[in-house]
Amino acid sequence: MHAGELTLPAIIALSLTTGFGAVTLGRLGLAAGRPRGVAFGAGALAGFVGPLLFMVPLGFCTFGPEAVTADTLLGYGLMAAGAGLLLRLGWTFLDPVAARARAEAADTTTHGVFKGHPFLPWLLLAPTLIILALFLYWPAGRTLTLSTRLVRLGAPGQVERCVTNFTELVGPSRPGLAFTVMMITLGLFVAGSSLSRRADAAMQRLGGYLSSAGVASVLLLLSLLWTASYQRVYLVTLIISAGTVIIGLALSIGIAYLAYQPIRGAGIYRTFLIWPYAISPPIAGLIFFVMFDPSNGIIEHWLGSLFGIDLPNYRQNAQLAQAVVIIASVWKTLGYNLLFYIAGLQTVPGDQLEAAQLDGANSWQRFRYVVIPALSPITFFLIVTNLTYAFFDTFGTIDYLTAGGPAGQTSVAMYEIYRVAIPGRDLGRGAAQSLILFLGVVALTIWQFRSTGKRVSYGS
Amino acid sequence: MRLFTRARTTVALTVAAALILAACGGETDEPDDGDSVAAEEPDDDSGDADADEAPDEPEEVPEGDIEVPVWIAFTDYRLDWARDVAASFSDQVDGYTITVQGYDNYEALFDATLLAVDQGGQPAIVQYFEAATTEARDAVSGSGEPLFASVEDRIAGRDEILGFPVILDDVVDAVQDYYTIDGEFSSMPWNSSSAIMFSNRTLMEELGISDIPETWQDLEAACETVMSADDAPSACVTWPNHGWFTEQQIALQGGLLANNDNGRADRADEVNLDGEEITDFIQWWADMNAAGFYTYSGTQRDWDGAYNAFASQQVPFVWYSSSDTTLLTEEGENGGFEVEASFLPFNADRPDGGALIGGATLWLTEGLESDVEDVALAFLQYFNNPENAADWHKVTGYIPITNASIALLEEEGWFDDNPNSAVASAQLDAAPDTPATAGVLMGNFVAIRDVVTEAIEDILVNDLDVAERLTQADATAQQLLEEYNLLVAN
Amino acid sequence: MATDTTPLTSPTGIRSVPSARSAPKRPLLGHRKSRADRWPTHLALGVVCFIVAFPLLYAMIVATQGNTEFFANQITPGNRLGDNFQVVWRDRNLGGYLWNSTIQAVIITVGKTITALLCGLAFVHLRFPFKGPIFWLVLVTLMMPTEISILALFQIVAGLGWANSMLGLTIPFLASATGAFLFRQHFANLPSDLSEAAQLDGAKPLQFLFRILLPLSWNVIGALAVIQFLYSWNMYLWPLLIISEQSEQVVQIGLGTLRNTGGGQSYGPLMLGAVIASIPPTLVFIGLQKQFLSGFSINAEK
Repeated sequence: MHAGELTLPAIIALSLTTGFGAVTLGRLGLAAGRPRGVAFGAGALAGFVGPLLFMVPLGFCTFGPEAVTADTLLGYGLMAAGAGLLLRLGWTFLDPVAARARAEAADTTTHGVFKGHPFLPWLLLAPTLIILALFLYWPAGRTLTLSTRLVRLGAPGQVERCVTNFTELVGPSRPGLAFTVMMITLGLFVAGSSLSRRADAAMQRLGGYLSSAGVASVLLLLSLLWTASYQRVYLVTLIISAGTVIIGLALSIGIAYLAYQPIRGAGIYRTFLIWPYAISPPIAGLIFFVMFDPSNGIIEHWLGSLFGIDLPNYRQNAQLAQAVVIIASVWKTLGYNLLFYIAGLQTVPGDQLEAAQLDGANSWQRFRYVVIPALSPITFFLIVTNLTYAFFDTFGTIDYLTAGGPAGQTSVAMYEIYRVAIPGRDLGRGAAQSLILFLGVVALTIWQFRSTGKRVSYGS
Repeated sequence: MRLFTRARTTVALTVAAALILAACGGETDEPDDGDSVAAEEPDDDSGDADADEAPDEPEEVPEGDIEVPVWIAFTDYRLDWARDVAASFSDQVDGYTITVQGYDNYEALFDATLLAVDQGGQPAIVQYFEAATTEARDAVSGSGEPLFASVEDRIAGRDEILGFPVILDDVVDAVQDYYTIDGEFSSMPWNSSSAIMFSNRTLMEELGISDIPETWQDLEAACETVMSADDAPSACVTWPNHGWFTEQQIALQGGLLANNDNGRADRADEVNLDGEEITDFIQWWADMNAAGFYTYSGTQRDWDGAYNAFASQQVPFVWYSSSDTTLLTEEGENGGFEVEASFLPFNADRPDGGALIGGATLWLTEGLESDVEDVALAFLQYFNNPENAADWHKVTGYIPITNASIALLEEEGWFDDNPNSAVASAQLDAAPDTPATAGVLMGNFVAIRDVVTEAIEDILVNDLDVAERLTQADATAQQLLEEYNLLVAN
Repeated sequence: MATDTTPLTSPTGIRSVPSARSAPKRPLLGHRKSRADRWPTHLALGVVCFIVAFPLLYAMIVATQGNTEFFANQITPGNRLGDNFQVVWRDRNLGGYLWNSTIQAVIITVGKTITALLCGLAFVHLRFPFKGPIFWLVLVTLMMPTEISILALFQIVAGLGWANSMLGLTIPFLASATGAFLFRQHFANLPSDLSEAAQLDGAKPLQFLFRILLPLSWNVIGALAVIQFLYSWNMYLWPLLIISEQSEQVVQIGLGTLRNTGGGQSYGPLMLGAVIASIPPTLVFIGLQKQFLSGFSINAEK
C-alpha cells in the first residue's frame, strides 16, 4: 500500500486544525495576559504540528487512493487527536495557573538541596532513564510502527498497510455510528465537566451523573462499533473486568468490615484472608482448573452430591467460563483489597460512628452510611488497581484455566493480543490491538487523575 | 525499636543473600545451575520410562566437546528415549555431544523455534510438525538466508556418514510421499503416526455391541445402542478438536484442502474450508454432539481430555493418534478392559479416500560448520536405524519408519503379539496414492488449523449453522494464506 | 506485570496512611460488644476464612494424591506425595525453574530498589536543569504497562541477543516509576534539617543517602520489596515470549509441563508444583510482613 499524497481533504483538515489552534489558544492566552503574537503563534503552531505527528510517519496514507472511508475518518480523528494533544501541552505552558503549579511542584523537591555536584544527578538518574528509554519508550514507538504493517512471525518480509490493522476491526458499514459515538461522548463530557465546575452542589452532582452516564453509554455504544469478532473481545473484557472489580470490591469491603472487629484471634483470621495475595495469577488458574475440573473436580462433585446441581462443563459454557475466571480473579485479588480496606477502616472517624449509633442506626446502617462513604477514596484507588489487574494480570489465570475458550468467550483484550500475535503469528494486528488496549489504559488514567480528590469523599 | 532492629536485620540478610545469588546467577549462560538442587537417585516407577536421568534437567556437555543441540516437542518418556539414544550416539562419536531439549507440544516448539530465529539462536536440529512443513521450507534467518538445509541434499548420495549407514532411502512410502516436495526429501522423518480409533471392547460387549464400527454410520448406530443402554456411559465417543482429525476425515473422503493439488503441484493460493467433504464431516460431528453421542472437552487441541475420558471408561470409543497406542493399550490392561485399535471410521457415502500421516520430521539448520553438520546428519541416521526405529515404535506407537525396522519387528513376532500396533501402518498402506492422501502443503497452515478448530468449537458450543460458520472460517483462512504468500513473495 | 505500576502510587493509597497514624488509638469500630455478640462474628469469619483458604488447602490435599484418589473425589490426603515429588522435582526439574524464578525476582527486586533510591535522591536533594520534564517522563511511564508494547519489546530484547538469558528476564524491568515516585514522596516528607545537618557535617549526597536516608526508609523498602518480588515472581507472558529453552525457563511457565506427566491429565504433581511454587513468595511476604503492613499501616491499632 503506497503512501498517499497530501490531497485536498488533508490540506483542508490541516488548515482547520491550524486555524482552530490559533483561535482557541490565542483567546485563552490573551485572557491569561500573554502577548497576542505569542498566544496566536503558539496556537497555530500546535494546531499545525500536532496532526503531522501522526500523519508524517503514516505518509498521509489515510488520504491516499487506496484508503477506504474508515481509513479517512480515522485519519481525521488522528489529526484532531494530535492537534488536541499539542494544544493541551501548549496551554500548560501558557497557563499562568499551571505555571505556578509547576513552580510549586519544583519547590517541594528542592528542600535541603546539596549545592554543587552538577553531574551527580545525571549519574543517579542514568540507570532509570536509560532503561525507561530503551525498554519502555522505544518499544512503544516501535509498537506504533508495527501496527501499521503486515508482519508475521516466521515469515520473511513486511508490507506497509497504513491503518488497515485498525479499521478492519471496525464494523464494515458503521463509520456513521463511530461518528455518533464520538459526538455523544464529547457532548456528555463537555456538559458534565462544565456543570461540575459550577459552585452549585446540585449542579455539580448532575454534572457527575452526566459524566458517568457519558462514560457508561460510550462503553456500551463502543461495542457496536466493532466487527463481530472484535466486539466479542471487547465485551468479554468488559464483563470480566466489571465482574472482577464489582464482585471483588463488594466482597472485600464486607469481609474487611468483619475482620476489623476487635475480637480475639483477629490476626489469625487476617493472615488466612490475606494469604491469596502471595499466590501468583497463573497458579490461581491452575488451582481453579483442578477444582472446577468438569468430570472429576471437587466443585462439580459437591454441587452434585450436596445440592443435586448438575454443573455443566465450564469449558463449554461461555457464561460459566467467564464466571470461573471472575471467581479465580476475585479470590486472587481478595488479599490485596483486604489489605487496603483494613488499613482504611482505621481512618473511619469514631465520633461519626458513635453519633450514628446514638441516633439509633443499626449495624448495617452504620456500615452503609458511615463506613462505605468513609472508605470511598480507597475504593476508588482499588477500582483502578483492580481494573489494571483485570486487564493484564488475568492473563496467566486465563491461560491455564480456559486458554481463552470456549470459542473465545474468556479471551480478554490482552489474551487476544497474545493469541493473535504469537500462536496466530500476526505481529502487526497484535500491535494494533495493543494500541487499542492502550487507549483504554490512558482513558482509565485520565479518569483517575481527574477524579482524584474531586469525586471521592473523605468522610466529612 | 526492637521491631526496627529486627526489620533491619531481615532486610540486610535478604539483600545480602540477593546479592550473592545475583553474583552467582547473573552472568552465566551455562544451563547447569539447577543441577545442585535436582535429586540424583534414579528410581522411577512412573510406568514405562526407562530413563536414568531427569528429562528436563540440562545434560552435561563434557569438557572440550562441541555441543550439537536438538529440540523436540516432547517432555515425557519420549524425551527420555531420545536422550538415551543421543547419549549412546555421543559415546560413539569423539568430541561431540548431542543435547536434546524438550518442549510441551508441537505448537510450543514451533513458536519457540520462530522466536529463536528472531532471537538468533536456533539449534542444529529441530523437530517441525507436519503442518509447519511449508513454513520450515520458507523460513529465513535474520540475514535472509534459508534457515534449513535439505537433508537429502547434504547427504549428497553418501551411503554412510561417520560410519553410520544412511537410511533415508528406506523410509516407508506414506512418509516419503508426504515429505517429498519438488522431488526432494528435505527433512528427516522420525515420529510419524496416523489417526486411528481405539475401542473399549469390554465395555462395548457389556453394552451389546459386537462389531467395531467401520464407518460414521456404523459409529452412529453403535452410539445409539450405547446411549440407550440402562447403564449408559456419559457419552459414546470423543476425539480432540485438533485440526488433524478434520484433515484426516477430509482425506478419507478424498477431499482437498487447497488448490494446486493440495499445494503439491504449485504453491497453494486458495484454501478450501467450505467444501462438501469438510461440511459433511463437521455437520455429522455437530449432530453427534447434539445427540449426546460425542462429548467435547471444551478446549481446543485437548489431547489429555480425550485420553482421560477413554482411560477412565467414560466413553467406549476414542479417536486418537496412533502415537499413544502402547500407552492406551496398557491403560486397558491396568484398568481391566480390552483395548482394540482399528481404522478411523470413514463416511460410507464417500469411501474413496485414504488416511494421511501426522507427526513430525527433524530439520537440519543451514550454516553449521561442516564437521558439526556431518555429526548432525549421522545422528539423524543413527536415530532412525532399524533397531532404534523398531524400539521407538514399540515404546510409543509411532509407525516403524523404515522397511528394515518393520522387517525386524516382524521377525520378532511383535505384530502378532501386539495387533494394535500394526493398525496405523496398515491404515496408511491402504490409502491410495493421491494428492488428498499426500496431505496439504500451504503457508500459514498452523494458523489456518486454528481457524478450523475455532470454528468447530464455535459450532459445537454455540450451536451455529455449519455451512455459514465454515464460509466465515474459509474467508479468514484465505486471508491468512494470501498474506503469507504476499510476505513470502516480497 | 502491570501491578507494578499501580499499588503504591495512588495519592489516595499513600496519603491516607499518615492520616491513619494520626487517628485515635482506640478501636473505632464495633466497640462495646459483649461476649455473646461476638460468636456470630467468629462464626462468620471462620466460614469466610475457610472459603478463602479452601483452594490452597485443596491444592495441598490433591498434591498428596494420585489420579485414582482424585477421581474418587477424596478430600483426605493420599499417600502419593513421595511419588508426586519424584515426578515434580526429579523428572520435571521444578527446582531448576524455581531457581531461575528466584534469581530473576531477587535481581529485579534489588535492582529496582537501588535505581529507585538513586532517583529519589536526585529528585529531592539535587538541583539540575529540566528537572520538571524529566520527572514527567518518568511519571508518565506509570500509564504505560509493559504489556502494551510487549511484542516490540520482545523484538528489541531478542535483537540485543538477550533471549534465553537472565539478562532478558531482568534488565528491562530494573527501572521503576513506582519506586522513584515512592522514594521521592518519602524523602520529601522527611524533615529538611536532616539534609542541612548532613551538609554542615560535610557529607556528600551519596553518603547522606546511605547513612541517613536508608536507615529511615526500611519500611518503605520492605513494602516495595514485597510488591516487586511478587511482581516478578508472577511474571508470565514475558518469560513465555523471551525464554524458549526449558533450562532457562521460570516456574510459572514450567508448571504448565506438569499438566501431563505421561498419559493424560495429571493432578497430583500439578498441584504439588503449584504449592511448591507458592512457597517463596509466601516466605517473602511473611518475612517482610511487618514492613509491608506498616507501609500500609495495617496493624496500627495495636
